[in-house]
Amino acid sequence: MTKFYEGMAEIFEVEPADITPQFELSNASADWDSLAIVSTIALVDDCFNVTLDGEALAACTTIGDIEALVAKAGKE
Amino acid sequence: MTSYAKIADLAGYLPPTILDNEELAALYPSWTASKIFEKTGIRTRHVAAPDETAGDLAYQAARALFARGTISAADVDFVILCTQAPDYVLPTTACLLQDRLGISTGAGALDVNLGCSGFVYCLSLAKGLVESGSARCVLVLTADTYSKYIHPLDKSVRTLFGDAAAATAVVACEAGQAPIGPFVFGTDGSGANNLIVEAGAARTPRSAATALEHTDESGNVRSRDNLYMAGAKILSFSLNEVPRAAAALMDKTGTSTETIDYFVLHQANRFMLDALRKKLKVSEAQLPIHVEECGNTVSSTIPLTLAAMRDEGCFDTEKKLMLIGFGVGYSWAACLLNF
Repeated sequence: MTKFYEGMAEIFEVEPADITPQFELSNASADWDSLAIVSTIALVDDCFNVTLDGEALAACTTIGDIEALVAKAGKE
Repeated sequence: MTSYAKIADLAGYLPPTILDNEELAALYPSWTASKIFEKTGIRTRHVAAPDETAGDLAYQAARALFARGTISAADVDFVILCTQAPDYVLPTTACLLQDRLGISTGAGALDVNLGCSGFVYCLSLAKGLVESGSARCVLVLTADTYSKYIHPLDKSVRTLFGDAAAATAVVACEAGQAPIGPFVFGTDGSGANNLIVEAGAARTPRSAATALEHTDESGNVRSRDNLYMAGAKILSFSLNEVPRAAAALMDKTGTSTETIDYFVLHQANRFMLDALRKKLKVSEAQLPIHVEECGNTVSSTIPLTLAAMRDEGCFDTEKKLMLIGFGVGYSWAACLLNF
């Protein structure tokens, strides 16, 4: 998960250590907006070779939700 | 020796008005100029004047091509204009350009309505015309003015797109093998709604209702008269279909990524191109990025990139290229090019 967490930290402009499954995607310093979602699709594709659906991703509220989505997509 | 089509020369035209990241950042409080550059790789976009059409831009690009001296208006016996912003509903803008450019009335002329895939499609049409003996010198013009479709407060597209035109001369040559092609094509109209200007043509004429503005969840403002892009869907489409098209073309031609000197992709933005480079597993040197000065210029991105690479000396010795156009439609196409 390291590469994924590092990438998410870059997208949210926080330290990699701040990224945990509980990390809130909409927080005081960042919006879970279309740019963040598009960036996450590219990151997940690069890390896991899985293309996530933008709408499903938009419904995620935490990093853990994204990880669950990746796990589900990986099984399909 | 057989008569084949080749690209003899190309030239571009960017309208003089510039839209930079500082101006955009002032409009979009959540984004700084440096963040826009970091995400898109774009510093400036060129914007057509209010009274300047895609036809005008194409005219300037053709004049710039003729000024280089490789071909003249008198040589041209077919004009293909790729645009999604024609001067009129009718007549065909390519017909107007035949007259304005002083091209013979013996020439054929037609418009192609495609966006980011358009240049590769036009190359295939030009090749077909030349190699069937129907034409000797095809003037391929690509021109668009998406800025006129974009709402000023829609940062999702205004940060990306720029207006431009390019002119490419496709001529007959004697050669041992075809410099252009083979091609692979693809279309998926089920994605039509994800990159669209909904109002303004026959299905949905412009009206007071279509001009109603709304703000989306990311704070972007637009109406149905404006360009809409579902960024996440376009990215997913591109990440799926572009590598598949590249693989299909390599399979068809028995080539591999190592034997291709340059992958010249539609220049959507740096973010998209970085993601595609990782998927294609090619080096940074193999996948040129030419968006910093002009942004995503729709069907002109590939010829503008080729012209810039030519000016940098990339083609001082012949190179093997793969061109891939992809986007609105959805429509995509890829071809090999010895240039």
